[in-house]
Parts: sequence; C-alpha cells; structure tokens
Amino acid sequence: MEESQEALNNIENGISNYNKGLGNNKEINGSKTPQNLSASIVRKKSDPILVSNVRFQMLRNILNNLHEVVLGTKLAVLFPAIPLAILADFYHFGRPWIFALSLLGLTPLAERVSFLTEQIAYFTGPTVGGLLNATCGNATEMIIAFFALRQNKIHVVKYSLLGSILSNLLLVLGTSLLFGGLANLKKEQRYDRKQADVNSLLLLLGLLCHMLPLMFRYASGLGNPFAIDTLQLSRTSSIFMLIAYVAYIFFQLKTHRQLFESQEEDEDEDEDGEKAVIGFWSAFSWLVGMTIIIALLSEYVVGTIEAASNSWGISVNFISIILLPIVGNAAEHAGSIIFALKNKLDISLGVALGSASQISMFVVPLSVIVAWIMGIQMDLDFSLLETGSLAFTIIITAFTLQDGTSHYMKGVILFLCYVVIAACFFVDKIPMNETIVLGNLGTVNEPSSGILFA
Amino acid sequence: MASNPDQPWLLENGTLKGLTKETGRTGRTAHNMSSSSLRKKSDRTLVSKVPCALLRQFLANLQEVLLGTKLAVLFPAIPLAIAAQCFGFARPWVFALSLIGLMPLAERVSFLTEQIAYYTGPTVGGLLNATCGNATELIIAIFALAQHKVAVVKYSLLGSILSNLLLVLGTSLFCGGIANMKKEQKYDRRQADVNSLMLLLALLCHLLPMLFTFAAAGSSTGMGVDSTLHLSRASSTVMLLAYAAYIVFQLWTHRELFEAQEEADDDDVVEETPDIGFWSGIVWLVGMTAVIALLSEYVVGTIEEAADSWGLSVSFISIILLPIVGNAAEHAGAIIFAFKNKLDITLGVALGSATQIAMFVVPLCVIIAWIMGINMDLNFSVIETGSLALSILAVAFTLQDGSSHYLKGLVLLLCYIIIAACFFVNKSPLHQSNILNPGLQTSTGAVRGA
Repeated sequence: MEESQEALNNIENGISNYNKGLGNNKEINGSKTPQNLSASIVRKKSDPILVSNVRFQMLRNILNNLHEVVLGTKLAVLFPAIPLAILADFYHFGRPWIFALSLLGLTPLAERVSFLTEQIAYFTGPTVGGLLNATCGNATEMIIAFFALRQNKIHVVKYSLLGSILSNLLLVLGTSLLFGGLANLKKEQRYDRKQADVNSLLLLLGLLCHMLPLMFRYASGLGNPFAIDTLQLSRTSSIFMLIAYVAYIFFQLKTHRQLFESQEEDEDEDEDGEKAVIGFWSAFSWLVGMTIIIALLSEYVVGTIEAASNSWGISVNFISIILLPIVGNAAEHAGSIIFALKNKLDISLGVALGSASQISMFVVPLSVIVAWIMGIQMDLDFSLLETGSLAFTIIITAFTLQDGTSHYMKGVILFLCYVVIAACFFVDKIPMNETIVLGNLGTVNEPSSGILFA
Repeated sequence: MASNPDQPWLLENGTLKGLTKETGRTGRTAHNMSSSSLRKKSDRTLVSKVPCALLRQFLANLQEVLLGTKLAVLFPAIPLAIAAQCFGFARPWVFALSLIGLMPLAERVSFLTEQIAYYTGPTVGGLLNATCGNATELIIAIFALAQHKVAVVKYSLLGSILSNLLLVLGTSLFCGGIANMKKEQKYDRRQADVNSLMLLLALLCHLLPMLFTFAAAGSSTGMGVDSTLHLSRASSTVMLLAYAAYIVFQLWTHRELFEAQEEADDDDVVEETPDIGFWSGIVWLVGMTAVIALLSEYVVGTIEEAADSWGLSVSFISIILLPIVGNAAEHAGAIIFAFKNKLDITLGVALGSATQIAMFVVPLCVIIAWIMGINMDLNFSVIETGSLALSILAVAFTLQDGSSHYLKGLVLLLCYIIIAACFFVNKSPLHQSNILNPGLQTSTGAVRGA
C-alpha cells in the first residue's frame, strides 16, 4: 500500500526532482528550517488504516489527502470555528462573536499554511523552500495587515505588526527560555550566538527606521506641514529595509548557510519521513484555498475589531498589540517551547528571532509600500509609547542573547517584561478616534502642550 | 583572667548549630564579606581586667558591637543629634548630625545581620541579607512616605541605585585597576549579566509610566494620572515576583554563580565562629534599628530647612548626599576588595545592592504607599529616568566582557560626577511637588504638578 501510494503521487504530480537531492544529506537537512521543524512538532502522523477500508483508489487518495491536511495537527480541534464564523457573519450574530470565532479559526489555519509551505519545499528544493518560508512564514500577519490597509485602519496595521514583533521577542522567547531552563536545570544550555547577533542587528536597523520619523515629528514641533516629510522618510526607509532583508536572505540561504543549520544530531521519531506526504499540486491547491479562507477570516477580524473592543471594554490598542499576535503565533509558540524543553535552543531562537526579523524588515516595509501604491498615507511613526516599548524590547533581547548561554532567569525576565508592556497597553485608554481623523500621526499631537521642546 | 573569651557566650546562649567550614563559608555573602574588612578585632585585654565575670561579659559584648568598627568614631554624633533636636538647635545641625550618625549604624546593622546568619544557616542568612541589606534606605523611605514626601522617597531610592552602580562600582574598579595595574582582572560575568537583566526590567517599569504620562499629556482626557498609578502598582507586583525568582535563583538553583571568591585566606578574614551570641545579636539589632528609625525621622523632617540653609536643592540632597551616607560602609568594603583583586565580591556588593533597591525596595514602597492611601507611582520624571537608563546601559555594557581595568572605573565615576552636577544645578522647587505628586518636567527643569 505504501509504495503504490507513493508511486501514485509521483505519477499524478510528475516526477519530483526530490530524488536529485537525496544523495546530499546537507541539502535535505537544509530544507527543514527552524520554523518548519518547530511546526512539525504540533503535527501528528495521520493514521492511514482508517482510510484503507474505502474501496476506490481515487476516493482513498482524496480522503488520505484530506486526512493528512485537515486532521494532521493537534490544533485541528479549532477548525469548526471557521464555519461558525462564516455563519455568524451571515446570520448577523453579535459582532464580538464574529471577532472571537474568526480569531480562533485563524490559529489552525496559520499552522496548516506553514505545513503546506514545508511540503511544497520538498518538491522545489531547499533554497526555494527557504525563500518561500522567508516570504510566507508570517502570511497571517501579512494578510491581516493588508485587509486593515484596505479598510483604512492604519493604526491596526501598525499595532498588530508591532505586537507581533514584541510577542516574538518577549513572549515566545521568554517562555521558551523559561521552560527550557526549568526542564534542564542541571545541564548547561548553549546556543550559537552568531545567529542571534545577526538578527539583533537587523532589528536594530528596523528600530532606527522607526525612531527617526518619531523624533522628526517631535523635533519639528508643529504637526501638519511636516507630515509629508515623515511620509517620504518612511517610504525611503522602507525601501532600504527591504534591501537589507534581501541581503539577509542571501546571507542566510547562500553564503553563510552553516550558521543557520538547525541542530539535528538526534533524530526523533516525531519528524516526518524525508518524503512529502502529499503531492505538489494538491499542496499548492490546498495552500491557495487556505489562504483564501485566511483572507476571509482576516476581513472579519479587521472589520469587527472596534465592536469587539467596545463590547469587551478593552482598547483597540490592546487587542491589536496583544491579542492578535498571540493568536497568530500560537503554533510557532508551542513548537518553540517544545524545542527548548529538549534543549535545542538554536531552533527556538531561530523561530522567535527569525519571525521577528521577518516582520520587522519585510512585512512592515512591504505594508508601507503597498499603502503607497494604494494611495494610503502610512508612515513608520508608531507613536511614543509603542516605539519606546519596541526599543527597550530589542535592547533587552540583544543583551540577553549576547553571551551564548541561557538559564531560566532570562526567560523569567523577558516574560515579565512582556507582562508589564501588556499591562501598560491595557491601561492605555487614550482615545483612538482623534488619530483616525488626523490622518495617522500616531497619538494626538497637540503642539501647544509643549511636551519636550518648549 | 579570662581563659577563653568565647566560652561564656557558648554557655549563655546554648550551643551553636553545627558549623562546618563549608556552611560557614557559604553563609558569607559578598555583602557580609565586604563589611567585614572594616572591622577590627576587639582588644580583649582591656576588658579582661574587670573583676566581675558578668560585667566582663557585658563589657566585652559592648566593646565588640560598639567599638568593632573603624567608623565607631562617628558614634558620638547620635547623642549629639538627639540633644540638638531636644534643645531646639538649628535644624540644619540636626540634619547633619543625624546623617553622620547613620553611617556607623548602617555598618553595625550589617555586622549584626551577619552574626545572626551564623546561627540560622546560609540560606536564611542570604534571605536576611536580601531583605534587610538596605535597611537604612528602606527606613528612610518609609518615614518619608509617612510624612507624605513622595519626592524624597523617589529621589533617595533613585540616588541609591545610581550611587551603587556608578559611584561604588566606579571607584572600586578605578582603585582596583590602579592597584593591580600589571595583573589581569577577571570576574565571572554571569552574575553581572543576571543583575543587569534585573536592572533592565526595573528600567522598563520606570520607563513605561513616564512615556505614558507624556503620551497622555497630549490627549484631551485627564486619565493619565490614574492609569499611571494602576500601571505602577501592577508593575510593582511584577517586580516583586521577579525579585522572588531572583532570590530562588541566587540562593537555591544557581548558587555557584554567586559564591564569593575565597581561595587566598588573608588574616583579615574573620574566623568561622560568631563573636556575639544569637539573642544578644537580636537585641542589638532591634535597638539599632530603633535608633536608625529615630535618626531617619530627623533627617526626613529637616531636609527642607537644610536645603534652604545650605543653598542646595532637595533633589540634590536626596539623590546625592543621602545615598553616599547610607552606603559609606559598603563603599569602603567594595574598594578594599577591589584592591585585593577580588572583583567578584565587589560586583556582588555593588550590583546586588542596586538590584535589591531597584527590584525590592522601590516596589515595596509603592505597595506600602498603596496601603497607606498615598499616590506614589513609578514615574520618576524625565531627567531622573534618563540618568537611570544611561547608568544601567553603561554599567551593563561595561561589565559584559568579564575583565576590568582602571579606565572603566574612571568613566563610571565621571558619569556619576556629571549626573551629580546636573542635579546640583537643577534648582527646581520641590515644595509644591511634595503636595501635588510630581509629574512632567519641561526642559527648563521646573517641576509641574500633574
């Protein structure tokens, strides 16, 4: 049964060029980036016995495919939220319900998209796989940002992306280091700091690009006449951030690949076999389908965020910065913790830092460029409190990771930093209405209050 | 003639707990070891001439406790301060004498804590040190809260952190570097890293309320103060949690990171047995704490008059003068250990003290103020928070490579002098801020009530 299935897959999809790479162990390993490895943890091997009872070969294949894709994850229990969310929208249930159900539905979808990307990477080879991961690794965040742009909710874009960076750097990393440290109390926990260093540098560049428009706004004092300059500065910075990201991809996938190899000395039984479990075109069509559903749910989320915020009594800021990223990152988060428990810190760091770098240096400038094309004025000026939190986060993370060892206290501190920042945004009930009217200058800027430079 | 001066204590106080060399050693935290360098062995020959045995014991105890330190010359300031207060001398005199009197008291309290630690074992000793190591600062802060001088609380605690990070560390590294010019000076950077991380978390908890107040100042609603207060109280709880985790880390799971270096035993090191009994230690501790409380009350009560009379601002006295006085004993000890090239102990003293104040005393004051119904938040205004941020970053950066030389000390020391100069010229009137709970500071330096 097993090999005929494989033969059938090969016949259906054309001979994959996967066999070419089989001789070179390094190449195979290279296709499993840290993100793929971590997501693979939350998968379970699908059980083909159930399917083999069905008579027709074709039907069996389709069901097997379905089984593998839809039920191949522990998060599949959340899948029913998707039809419920669509129903809630059609039958006009309370808007907060639509919001909550859409959020819940997004969690397994994000994980499945990562799985499908990995499957496609088996067929396309490791480099293209790495590229795919580099662009689509945070597809959920990108799609949410795009829909928020379309509905002209610039602050939701800014704050959800900022929240993703904060969540990756503090929450995911903190909990991973904490649990890893507690589980490995007696062992020494080491990781290769060169990977952490490169990511820290990229994040610092991103931070500079955020701080300059902010300081520009404060230095100019009066708001409106200089708003255009901030916009031009932001757009220029975005282009350079994308250039930096391209260089980073080149560094990561071509010239200094060995820095980013994930640790694979002991193979667990958890990992998938070296071959893909579904065919290339089926993976591709599943990917397209799931992306469409993600788009739909994202549209619901962005549309109902204010209603949910009013109904639950928390600010839109808090929902964008704290809730949305926790949901979007849930699968990566779990994977990162599990690898830290096994004392494979390089993979945890690869997941958390890589994701943060990707959002900061790819998704954010891409959003600015897309907004430019759409004629929407989005700049890189995330207001004072948010930029301050970002600056501090990057500094403390860079400092924490710069010595190459870890213990649970580091995780405790990073996690508590996240709690404090979350508390700050929780009590932050500064009304956002004025900012929408004033055209996205961040928080209200009344120059007469003479905050800094009277 | 006294046969063995230690024996009467053993008889009087019951047997000591089994003191093997190892438990005795680990009971000596860096803090305790630094203060011990200021002590001198008491000279029993004088006491041994007294005929009556009980009187002899009593006098030996007195001599050990009162005269066992080089700072004992300052003890006469205490009765002078009390006399000055009772007879209505000029208030600045009361202030100055109380300050001088606090110095030896702080050192003696640390000595007594160490003595008690001999009896209770190393872990409880470490815990005692972790809570009472900065008893003087804590008592001053509580009295200032009781008199509703929230600004004095904030600035004195901030000044303690700055003094520990820049002044104590700077002078120690500088003197140690000059004395050991040809040798390589190394220390274990993991201890410094953990302390730097804790200080960074404390910085975050101060930075966010300040930024929040800034951001809220531009909005039309007046919700800034309330939200800042809630945020500060929540942050204080988080800080205390972090400190508890730090104590578990330091005293239990990763104890070996914090062991004091003891390879070369000098003749300075006190031997493993305690010098006074357990109960006499407790009695002396309670008594000295009461005297510290009295002097602190004088200090806090007369600070404004002293400021007016000497032409300095209250913020300068709070940030610079008070901590120098409160820290004098630790300071001297840290320098002495740096001379001997035992930098781990120096760092343990300076960084440990700074971490303790930032992550324990400050949030504890916020919680106590909450209980007392006083609105104290974590928003130390712009200049103070900026100085704190730069100090922490400078120290974290300086200590991150595990070796030291005199230039590092010099730079840190000069940072402290610059910050002191900044507060010296900052003649902001703090009187109204004591009532109105200080908020923002504009660039001209005038404090504006929130």
